Amino acid sequence: MQRAYVTLLFVTVLQGTPPQDDGQWTMPGKDYASTRFSGLAQINRTNVTRLKAVWSFSTGVLGGHEGQPLVVGSTMYVVTPFPNVLYAFDLTREGYPLKWKYRPDVNPTAVGVACCDAINRGAVYAAGKVVYNTLDGHTVAVDAITGRELWKTQIADMGQGETTPMAPFIARNRVLVGPSGGEFGIYGWVKALDLASGKILWTAHNMGPDSLMIARPGTFTGGANLGVSTWSGDSWRRGGAPVWGWISYDPQLDLIYFGTGNPGPYNTEQRPGENKWTNSVLARRPSDGALVWAYQFTPHDSWDFDANAEMILTDLVVGGRMRKVLVTFNKNGFAYTLDRATGELLVAEPFTHVTWAKGIDRRTGVPIVDSTKVTGASRGNVKGICPSLEGGKSPVSSSAYSPRTGLFYTATNNLCMNFEATQVTRIPATPFIGATTPYVAGPGGYMGAFIAWDAARGRKVWEIKERFPVWSGTVVTAGDVAFYGTLDGWFKAVDIRTGRDVWKFKVGSGVVGAPITFRGPDGKQYVAVYAGIGGDWFLLSGDVRSDDPADLRPPADFAPDLARHTSQGGIVWIFGL
Amino acid sequence: MDFRLVTPCVGLAVAIACNPGTDSGAPPSIRYPNHVAAGESQPPAAEMTNPFASDTASVADGGKLFSTMNCDGCHGGGALGWVGPSLVDGRWRYGGTDGALYQSIFYGRPRGMPAYGGVMSPGAIWKVVSYIRAQPVPSVVPTQRFTREQTP
Repeated sequence: MQRAYVTLLFVTVLQGTPPQDDGQWTMPGKDYASTRFSGLAQINRTNVTRLKAVWSFSTGVLGGHEGQPLVVGSTMYVVTPFPNVLYAFDLTREGYPLKWKYRPDVNPTAVGVACCDAINRGAVYAAGKVVYNTLDGHTVAVDAITGRELWKTQIADMGQGETTPMAPFIARNRVLVGPSGGEFGIYGWVKALDLASGKILWTAHNMGPDSLMIARPGTFTGGANLGVSTWSGDSWRRGGAPVWGWISYDPQLDLIYFGTGNPGPYNTEQRPGENKWTNSVLARRPSDGALVWAYQFTPHDSWDFDANAEMILTDLVVGGRMRKVLVTFNKNGFAYTLDRATGELLVAEPFTHVTWAKGIDRRTGVPIVDSTKVTGASRGNVKGICPSLEGGKSPVSSSAYSPRTGLFYTATNNLCMNFEATQVTRIPATPFIGATTPYVAGPGGYMGAFIAWDAARGRKVWEIKERFPVWSGTVVTAGDVAFYGTLDGWFKAVDIRTGRDVWKFKVGSGVVGAPITFRGPDGKQYVAVYAGIGGDWFLLSGDVRSDDPADLRPPADFAPDLARHTSQGGIVWIFGL
Repeated sequence: MDFRLVTPCVGLAVAIACNPGTDSGAPPSIRYPNHVAAGESQPPAAEMTNPFASDTASVADGGKLFSTMNCDGCHGGGALGWVGPSLVDGRWRYGGTDGALYQSIFYGRPRGMPAYGGVMSPGAIWKVVSYIRAQPVPSVVPTQRFTREQTP
C-alpha cells in the first residue's frame, strides 16, 4: 500500500506534473527522485512577500542543524543533532504541542569520532515507522504514532572511526544506510536493513574485491577487482569512501543511486592509484545490493572532493534526445548530467570557479587535471586551488529541481584553498587526514551564491551573490518560489522566474539545514526550516560557540565577522501567509 | 606498510612515543585545584609532576607527537580548536595542571576525547603535555569586539 503510493508519487514527478499529494514530506529529498520540488502553489512568487513566521521551537541542542523535518499526515517530525532527540509535533493544535519525544541512549564518545560537528541529516518515514540514524552507529525505527522504539540495529563501528549522521533512505522495504569517516580511514560501505525487523540484509563495500563490492563478473569493462587494483597494496582497506550524503531511487530501472566520499588519507602519496570507487556515484539493486554501474568523478583525489551530493533524477532533452538523467553538483566544482541507466557522461561543466582541472573529457569521463594543482606530502604547499574542500557546493546543501522550468536551484560556495599534505599514521578511531588547507574567498570576493542551472546545456542561468558561503538546502515549488538560508542567519525566498530575492527573515542562527513545504491540517501551505549553524562552520568559525567557557577561539581568518551575525542554537521555524 | 598494525613501538612516526622517559604509570588519583571542595576540605590526592617540564627538546618532540598521534585532527593545527576545543586559550574543562592534562590524554574524557593510555607511553604523553603548555595563549580575550563605535 505504502509502496504503491510512493511509486505513484515518483512517476508523476518524473512526468513533470504535480504529484497527487504534496501535503506531506515523507523522505529527505521529498520524492524518490530527490527533486525537493513541491506541487503546492498557495505561496507564490507574488504573495511570498507577505510570508510571516507563524511558529518556532528551540530544539535545546546546539550542534549543526543539517537536514530537514518530515511531515506525515498532521504530524511534524524533527531529529536533532547529537543526542539525536526525535520530536513529534501535533499540527492540528494551536502552538503545535508535542505528541511525544523519543530520547535514545547515544554514546557521547561519538562526538569525538564525528569529523565535523555532531550533526544529523534527518529521518525517513515508511509503513508507520520513522527511521533514522544515531551518531554512534545505530539505526532506529520508531512507531510514528506512539513514539515507541520498534527496533534498533548497530550498523557501524566507532572503533574504526565510523559514525552515522546520514539520513537513511527506504526503497522496496529496505532501509539503506551508510557511514561517515572519510577523515578516519574507514572501509566504506552501504547496508540494507529490513524495514520490518531492522535485520541487516546485505552489506556492500565501495572498494575492495568484487565479492565484497557485490559486483558480478563483467560489471566493468576495465577488468575484475578494480576496487583493489586501483590502490597500492591493501590501502583500500582504510581508503575511506564514506556514504554520508543522500540516496535516490528509480523504481522503473530498480536502481538506487548514491555518492561516495573522499579517499583517505588526504595525502595522496599514501594511496597511489585511481582509488576506485571513492568520489564516485554507484548504482545498485536495492533487493540484493548488486552493483550495476559506477562512475568516478575525481580519480586519485588530491583535494577532498567527496561525491556525496544528492543525485537528482529526471528526464531531460540532451543533445536533441530525451534522456533518463541523473544530475549532481560535485564538490569539485563541476555539475554532471549522466545517463542513469548506464552511467554514460552527457554533460560536465563548471558551476563555480575551478582551477584544479581544465575540464572533463566527455569521451573518457576523466578530468583534465592541472598538474600544478596536484597535492601530496612531497609537493609542499600547493596554492590557488579552486574550489576549496568545502566544495563548489557542499553535499550538505541539497539542491532542487523544478519540472516547471526544467532548471536546478542550488547553494554554492566561492572559496579557494592552499593545500599542504603531510604523512599521517592511522590509529583507529582517530583522524586520518594529513593536510593543512587554509581558505580564501574566490574571484570577486563574495564567498557564496544561489544559482539556477540548466543541466541539459551545462550553464548557469542566473546567480544571487552572497557575502558568506551558502550551505543550506533548497526547496522549489509550483508557486515558482525557491527557498534557501544563509550562514549569517537569513531565510530567503527567490522568485525563480527573475532570479531575485523577494523576501527574507532573520531566523536566529545560520542555516545549514534544508527547507521543506507542506499543507497543514488547516489546508494552508507552510514552509519549514531549521536554523542552527554548525557542521564545518562550527570548526572553521569556532567563535560561533558561546556555551563552553573553556573553549575560546579566534574567528575564521577568511570570514572574520561571521560570529557578529550568528551563534549556535537549533530552532525549527514554520512560515505561512 | 599497514597502518592498521601500528602499535606504540612500530614505525618512524611513533618512534618518540616508544621512548619511555619515565617509569611512572597511570596516576592513582589527582586533585583539581579549581573544583569546589565539600566542607572546604580537599580530599587527599597525589599531584603529578611532569618529568620533562619545559625543556626545549621535549616540547619539540611533543609538537611532533601532537601531529603524528592525530591530536591536530580534532584540536586543530597549533591546538587552536577544531571539532575538539582549543587547548591554547588558557581555559580548561578538566583542569589545567600538568597532571590533569596527563589524565585527560591517558584516560580520555567524555564527549569525544579518546584514551591514549594504551597507545602512547607515559613519557610520550608527558611530552605532549610539555608541548601544549609551551604554546603561547593567543590574544583571544573575553571580549570579542565587532565595531569601533564610541557611543553605546
